[in-house]
Amino acid sequence: MSEISGKVLKHDTQTRSMHWVHLIGFLILALTGIAFYWDLIGISNIFGGPANASLVHRWAGVIFTAGPTIYILLNFERFAKFIDTISHFTKDDFAWLKTMGGYIPFIKVDKAPPQDKYNAGQKILGGLIIVGCLLVILTGFPMWLWRHTLPAAFLAMCYNIHFWTAIIMILLICGHFFLAAIHPKSRIEFASMMLDGYVDAEITSHHNEKWFNALQKVE
Amino acid sequence: MSIFTEKDGITRRQFFKGAGMLAFTAVVAGVFAKVGVDVFAASDDYIQKRAEGLYTLDEQMAIRKSHENPEILQIYKDFLSPGEIKPVSEKAHHLLHTRYGKDIPGLIEELATHHDAA
Repeated sequence: MSEISGKVLKHDTQTRSMHWVHLIGFLILALTGIAFYWDLIGISNIFGGPANASLVHRWAGVIFTAGPTIYILLNFERFAKFIDTISHFTKDDFAWLKTMGGYIPFIKVDKAPPQDKYNAGQKILGGLIIVGCLLVILTGFPMWLWRHTLPAAFLAMCYNIHFWTAIIMILLICGHFFLAAIHPKSRIEFASMMLDGYVDAEITSHHNEKWFNALQKVE
Repeated sequence: MSIFTEKDGITRRQFFKGAGMLAFTAVVAGVFAKVGVDVFAASDDYIQKRAEGLYTLDEQMAIRKSHENPEILQIYKDFLSPGEIKPVSEKAHHLLHTRYGKDIPGLIEELATHHDAA
């Protein structure tokens, strides 16, 4: 029996709210985008037909942009910590990546290297999501607001970047969903982002050893 | 039950990374917006210059109105409405007002009839 007991507050209310807003926005954007790119009228009809799906896509894009922006401006400290964590790679992270933290069935790992609040895979995902979001946002708004005046070649470039970034992000989010909600080794943290924000202290001491050692006990 | 949380406050490294990321995003978004606004302005400028060019060309033309073109007036006098200038004469109507698509066979037939009658 481990000596560590209790819970760790991993994601507070603002972070979880922003994650929910971004998640719902992303789902709507992905569904409407897929619907009118491949002309899938069945999906478009969920949003009131192709014309409405296009409108919903644009305004969901506004929410997709405004949600994290407001969060960052109101919670700069949390954002700064997040950016610092995902951009800080040590030899432990590279060692974790060599074995993929034991998540891949055919790579046997006795003990994964100690990790920060996010493991090396989550750090890479975080970075890719930020870059992906910037690309879809920066190409999306010109396609909406300046489509009548921008040169056709520039618009075509925006369409291509927007499409391929969205496809890569959808695949990344599928992987993220699998590891966060389905994989038996990692789904134990599911509630920490989707529900109450807490995760078991003993599990954290194993999965996020470096971060856990820097925490404070409040009660 | 014990509750663990992160310590308050951020380190200098965390601050600079967070601020740097925000600054980078702001610069990239600003540059992108600037390009968009400049292209918008350039497009407006092009449209204005193009319109000015067309008006200038038009003002420089010796003959600016078709109904004052001596050649057209002569065609009416000699052929379309012999002896007078009658813009919507029957012959002018049949010869100058064309039709499109599925109406073309009807037009050909009509022209042939008029030609035979003449």
